[in-house]
Amino acid sequence: MKSLNIQSLARCVTARAVRLWIFGLAVAGAITTLPAATPAAAHGERSQQAFLRMRTLNWYDVKWSKTELNVNDEMELTGKVHVFSGWPQAVAKPGESFLNVGEPGPVLIRKSAYVGEVPVPRTFSMDVGKDYEYKIVLKARRQGRYHVHVQINVKDGGPIVGPGQWITIKGDMKDFTNPVTLLEGSTIDLETYGITWTYIYHFFWMAAATAWILYWFMTKGIIVRYWQVKAGKGAELIGQDEKRIGAITLAAVLLAVVVFYAAANKEFPRTLPMQAGLLTGISPIDEPRSTVAVQFKGGSYTVPGRELRIRVKVANNGKEPVRLGEFTSAGLRFLNPEIFTTRPDFPDYLLADRGLSVSDPNPIAPGETRDLEVIVQDARFDIERLSDLAYDTDSQFGGLLFFFSPSGERQKAEVGGPVIPRFQAGAAL
Amino acid sequence: MSASTETGSPAGKTWKSKEEFLGCVILTDWILLVILFAVLLGSFHIHYMLLAGDWDFWIDFKDRRMWPTVAPIVAMCFAAASQSFFWTRFRLPIGATTVVLALLIGEWINRYDNFWGWTFFPINLVFPSALIPMGFWLDIVLMISGSWLITAVVGGLGWGLLFYPINWPVLAQYHQAAEIDGVLLTLADLIGFNYVRTGTPEYIRMVERGTLRTFGKDVVPVAAFFSGFISMLVYFLWWNMGKWFSTTKYLEIEEV
Repeated sequence: MKSLNIQSLARCVTARAVRLWIFGLAVAGAITTLPAATPAAAHGERSQQAFLRMRTLNWYDVKWSKTELNVNDEMELTGKVHVFSGWPQAVAKPGESFLNVGEPGPVLIRKSAYVGEVPVPRTFSMDVGKDYEYKIVLKARRQGRYHVHVQINVKDGGPIVGPGQWITIKGDMKDFTNPVTLLEGSTIDLETYGITWTYIYHFFWMAAATAWILYWFMTKGIIVRYWQVKAGKGAELIGQDEKRIGAITLAAVLLAVVVFYAAANKEFPRTLPMQAGLLTGISPIDEPRSTVAVQFKGGSYTVPGRELRIRVKVANNGKEPVRLGEFTSAGLRFLNPEIFTTRPDFPDYLLADRGLSVSDPNPIAPGETRDLEVIVQDARFDIERLSDLAYDTDSQFGGLLFFFSPSGERQKAEVGGPVIPRFQAGAAL
Repeated sequence: MSASTETGSPAGKTWKSKEEFLGCVILTDWILLVILFAVLLGSFHIHYMLLAGDWDFWIDFKDRRMWPTVAPIVAMCFAAASQSFFWTRFRLPIGATTVVLALLIGEWINRYDNFWGWTFFPINLVFPSALIPMGFWLDIVLMISGSWLITAVVGGLGWGLLFYPINWPVLAQYHQAAEIDGVLLTLADLIGFNYVRTGTPEYIRMVERGTLRTFGKDVVPVAAFFSGFISMLVYFLWWNMGKWFSTTKYLEIEEV
């Protein structure tokens, strides 16, 4: 029966079959590897649940110092982030967070990152209810046009993506360098450092393994060995000569391991273990307490109209009258055109420059408390899938309101709470 | 199995000549080798990426405690199963070497083509762990001893102990230190920090986490011995796993 199977198999092994098989493999290889990958246009931020984006990190004052760079040029991505007081119960608190960049691979490298004045190459801790200032220095590496976001990853909470901007990089990645000065004083190019040796070392061992496999394969192959083992003559296949060859090979392998190991220690006598650990005690932004207090009184979201209506009680405890100028949430900015007479420099897909209106546009006088109805309406609310709030398990919105005084002073106030979805157009609060 | 030197296949004979028969055997051997290699490459690659994953992907995950513990243990599975197959069926002392070579070839294709070619991560961030001398060790211990029990004990222990020393020749250069913005980092840390991975935040690294602190800075030997010990147990299990599945009974069809 067994020999019949092998005979049948052998009959199928014609030169034509082998050629077809190799051709098929080549075609499969070409199809799967040759076509160029299309660039990523976004990083999935819209797929994150609306309540998560609105009530975890509120991004503001985000700036990209440049939007056009040459390879090796540097730019800064700066801004502030408010850690929302009503952080969702479903998401882990930002006790372990990492300042990151949302980009399609390392097309820009991160030369340095700061939260406040503290460098953060590692994980750091943030407190709920506080505001933090960040700065990321990026260096252009690969030519192309890329969407670059600020992002903070929260352990057990996932990545929380901030606003993104299109960045154009000109030049050629082959000209990119990443010089780093070592503690002992020499400077290396980290872009290519050690790669040639890594190839040599790995391919040396792979060649040795190939030689070992082919040696045994070429002496009696597979099928003949199988017959011999089956016939009870397996012991004849590995005699003293074979064991001697094995012992010599093993001795050579172990000698090579020792030599390589000793050479590495000789060449790099001072090495350190990798550095890790949580950075704690990073100070939030030291800013005076806001003179505007906002109390959420209820709200609704009209799904077909893409309109969020909220009722708030605003108390102005400052010395100047204030007017509501902006609502920001999940990286989107909804502006009151009565306050913002010129369009700020911000990515268009996130900027609704006429997206905010107030039931009573008059300034709130110092010492005055007033009930306001705030209307946030723009297609971007829907495009960025914040309208999915109606379908979340925790249908509470969140964000920041910015009030402005005649002297240009800005007061920030957090706002958030449950909103009731309205599924008919024109539904009232 | 019949063989004839006459021209034309005699009635009831499959082969026209002994030469033709041997040629067929050799060709079939080569096809079997290529197919076996591809199957081992694919299956071991999936297994190793699922279980060793980030420890093998990134240079800044290759620490002194978790990496030399986890990587050899999960690599042992296929090495033991493959030895069981190649040794018990063919007396070929190439089982472990073949699977680790297959894995390394698969990994290098993946790292070069995908990690570097498609997403531009530099090779010094994504090179795989070296495993081949461990394959030699395991195969030759089995060949000389002729015993899977001795191979499990001696080979398994050596498998764990060898892992870090054979990787150090490449790794050492990336454990040089640099001061970046007043922070001490090794080059391995710095590569991980510089070359942005949107989906791989720093906190998912497990750099020397654990409670074993008695041996101070000598973390590697403790991790290596532990890894070797668990590799012994894994060897026992996966040798038998290989034995159970080294069968042609699923291919035996009466009609053929």
